[in-house]
Amino acid sequence: MEDHELDTLLADASRTYRVAPTPPLDPMWASIEARAFAPAPRVFGWRTFAAGIAAALLLGVLGGRLSARADPQPLADASARADRQGDDPYGRATEEVLGKSALLLTAVRMDASSDDARAHLAAQASDLLGTTRLLIDSPVGGDAQLRSLLEDLELVLAQVARLAPGRSRTELPIITAAVEQHELVPRLRSAVVELTATDY
Amino acid sequence: MSDLSETMPNLARVLTPTPPQPVDERTLVARAADGDRRAARALYEAHAPRVHRVAYRLCRDRDLAADLVQDVFVQVFRQLKTFRGESAFGTWLYQVTLRTSLNAMRKVRRLRERETDLDEALHYAHPVSAIDPDLRDALALAIEALPESLRVALVMHELEGYTHGEIGAALGIAEGTSKKRVFDARGRLRAALGAFGSKE
Repeated sequence: MEDHELDTLLADASRTYRVAPTPPLDPMWASIEARAFAPAPRVFGWRTFAAGIAAALLLGVLGGRLSARADPQPLADASARADRQGDDPYGRATEEVLGKSALLLTAVRMDASSDDARAHLAAQASDLLGTTRLLIDSPVGGDAQLRSLLEDLELVLAQVARLAPGRSRTELPIITAAVEQHELVPRLRSAVVELTATDY
Repeated sequence: MSDLSETMPNLARVLTPTPPQPVDERTLVARAADGDRRAARALYEAHAPRVHRVAYRLCRDRDLAADLVQDVFVQVFRQLKTFRGESAFGTWLYQVTLRTSLNAMRKVRRLRERETDLDEALHYAHPVSAIDPDLRDALALAIEALPESLRVALVMHELEGYTHGEIGAALGIAEGTSKKRVFDARGRLRAALGAFGSKE
């Protein structure tokens, strides 16, 4: 068969191959309108949580720095006093961030097949990245083991936060390799378990 | 009215109802992004038939195609605020359509009965054409027999009229890869239809 004969056939097929039945546009629109214009609570919940944690940590860090200038006592003493009083916002924030990061990195490995999924993961990573950096600058960063974990986490979150649709083919394997090389997910989970055991 | 327009043109202009100015698509997109449901409905009515046709040709199931149309528009309207207008709205919409359809096809592949698909491929053939009906049926069967990657590229380029650049952007492949897939698909079709070609 010549090329031009196939072209003729394909031109005919553009009208005859799998001609779609008439779609029920009105009922479909009712469903689309109800779903598309409803709020997405999961996203709001995530962002509200991240913003709240970041704001609380920022106030904590700034407050600690101000009190350090006024009071020569090391920041660790202030943190220790807070612990004795049963109030450890840094510990709770660390536990939340490490737990959320473990889930995020697992999702990156398992479910980053679509651009939409990658965009969602990148947004979550960006929120966690800000909080992680605040934790590094907080008294939590004074613990060498936690600091090392947070700094490794910071590097990976920065890469996930930069995931873009056209670049994921090269970036995803690099991110996955970095997560495995640093054994990040098991370390995050162990740290959460330790923090939880300290609380209770 | 014509007399009035000659003698009192200004009054004629006031009394003549002004036809509603067509709203360009960029304006509709901006309004829909702000939550204007009428603008969203206008976009939906302009594009839904083609989205449905593409989804149906790819997934080969009328119920699934209807579901896919809804999923596509829900995704698009939820993400409309992030649409920067670097490409035409329709281009972005059909990229989402392709990705959503292909993801759905992978999930239901094992459940589909191939014989039923072939019956559907033949059932809706256009009755009036100069093409030999047996040849048209043979082409439909040959298209169905193509590997998925080749079939999708062929349907999108030859039957739906997408450019290789648009297909590449939607599938995450290079433009050259799309061209090669269509070239390979056409070669297989010519081989499958060789018996018909020799009779001409």
